[in-house]
Amino acid sequence: LFFFFNDTATTEIYTRSIVGSVRCVQETGINAEYMGIKYIRDYMGFKRFVQAGRVAYINYGVDHGKVCVIVEVINSTRVLVDGPTLGVPRQVISLRRLALTDHLLKVAKGIHTKSLEAIIKKEDLVKKIGESSWAKKLAAQKRRAELNDFERFQVMMLKRQKAYLVNKDVAQTHAKKPKKAGKKEAKPKEAKSSQYPDIFHFTQN
Amino acid sequence: FFFLMIRRPPRSTQGVSSAASDVYKRQVSTQSTWDFQWCQRRSMGKESKSQFSLKKVKQYILVGRAKPVAGQKEEPKVYRMRVFAPNTVIAKSKFWTLMRKQKKIKHTGGELIAIHEVIENPSKSVKVYGIVLRYQSRTGYHNMYKEYRDTNICGAMSQMYMDMAGRHRAREETIHIVRTCVVPESKIKRAETKSFTNGNVKFPLLNRISRPPIKKFKAFARAKRPTLFLQQNNSDS
Repeated sequence: LFFFFNDTATTEIYTRSIVGSVRCVQETGINAEYMGIKYIRDYMGFKRFVQAGRVAYINYGVDHGKVCVIVEVINSTRVLVDGPTLGVPRQVISLRRLALTDHLLKVAKGIHTKSLEAIIKKEDLVKKIGESSWAKKLAAQKRRAELNDFERFQVMMLKRQKAYLVNKDVAQTHAKKPKKAGKKEAKPKEAKSSQYPDIFHFTQN
Repeated sequence: FFFLMIRRPPRSTQGVSSAASDVYKRQVSTQSTWDFQWCQRRSMGKESKSQFSLKKVKQYILVGRAKPVAGQKEEPKVYRMRVFAPNTVIAKSKFWTLMRKQKKIKHTGGELIAIHEVIENPSKSVKVYGIVLRYQSRTGYHNMYKEYRDTNICGAMSQMYMDMAGRHRAREETIHIVRTCVVPESKIKRAETKSFTNGNVKFPLLNRISRPPIKKFKAFARAKRPTLFLQQNNSDS
């Protein structure tokens, strides 16, 4: 079965995802009655919310790079945040300094540090965060930044070898199957890693 | 050229933008521990290093009385006042202004017995503060009741001053605080405050921009065009 990645297919996928995300209606932060009208909004396809229990990553300031849990929403710009075993003291932080993650803990608003610590340990949050793809990306970025000159040279050599092998594979595939007009096949950019030796893993820890 | 190679601590606390030397700008994300410590020390205020607060004012308690006059039988009455001010100088000034207006005791005829700063415990819970104030507009005086969510009274006060300045062009000098209180959830008046007090409040974060994690890394000139939006996996599509 071949998938045809032409224009009509992409619009189909788009509309399907919007239909799937419309959920039951719910009032949002700003009270409707205050406005005088019943102001109803659906999720509009959003997955991550600023809410009590949301795990967030601090991307600015002294604590940047650390992960914390939103304990209570103060107003539209600030939240009370806590990270007992995560190295973040209980503090008020601006939402501008946070990036929300997918993780959400079941936590009552204003939860105390000790109770939060128990929940974090129970949910094994540190492990879950470490397993997420963005945490791995961050770790890889950090490793890449820590490379010394020799290691950078090694990386260059490995990249060159990989490129050679990939191009060789592509050339062979080209030679076997001649290109037909109107048919676009997804060409495997990443070579089948099981066939090739271990040199493709750059982070050699 | 050697002095550029060796990283030296700055002599004075310069602003990042005024640190025009190339050495600071050329630094990549790999930071030496020394640099990071310098960053921390710079960003640390008097408060705990991780506190993020808008504190414009501090809370003071001033105790004063009229100077005892020779031949007076009774000791002059002692008055205690709670003042919100950015420093002790302004606190004293506010104290004597009100003593003069309300008790007919002038600064020259009075003495300040004590001035204490009231320091609240560090933020642990969010409260709703109700503030009754009186301010002078261009055409007259008005009373107001305002509510703010914050972890301490000084933070709520700072919010109030910013709010008044923004909404009514009322500067700090024209605002008099009549009364402050911590409002229990059942007695909250303002709909917006009530909606954020709700435990189920939630909203997505929109219009995100990426910025360097430390102000020091903010580059004056860049080779690339700025990124106007952050590609985040916030939606289903």
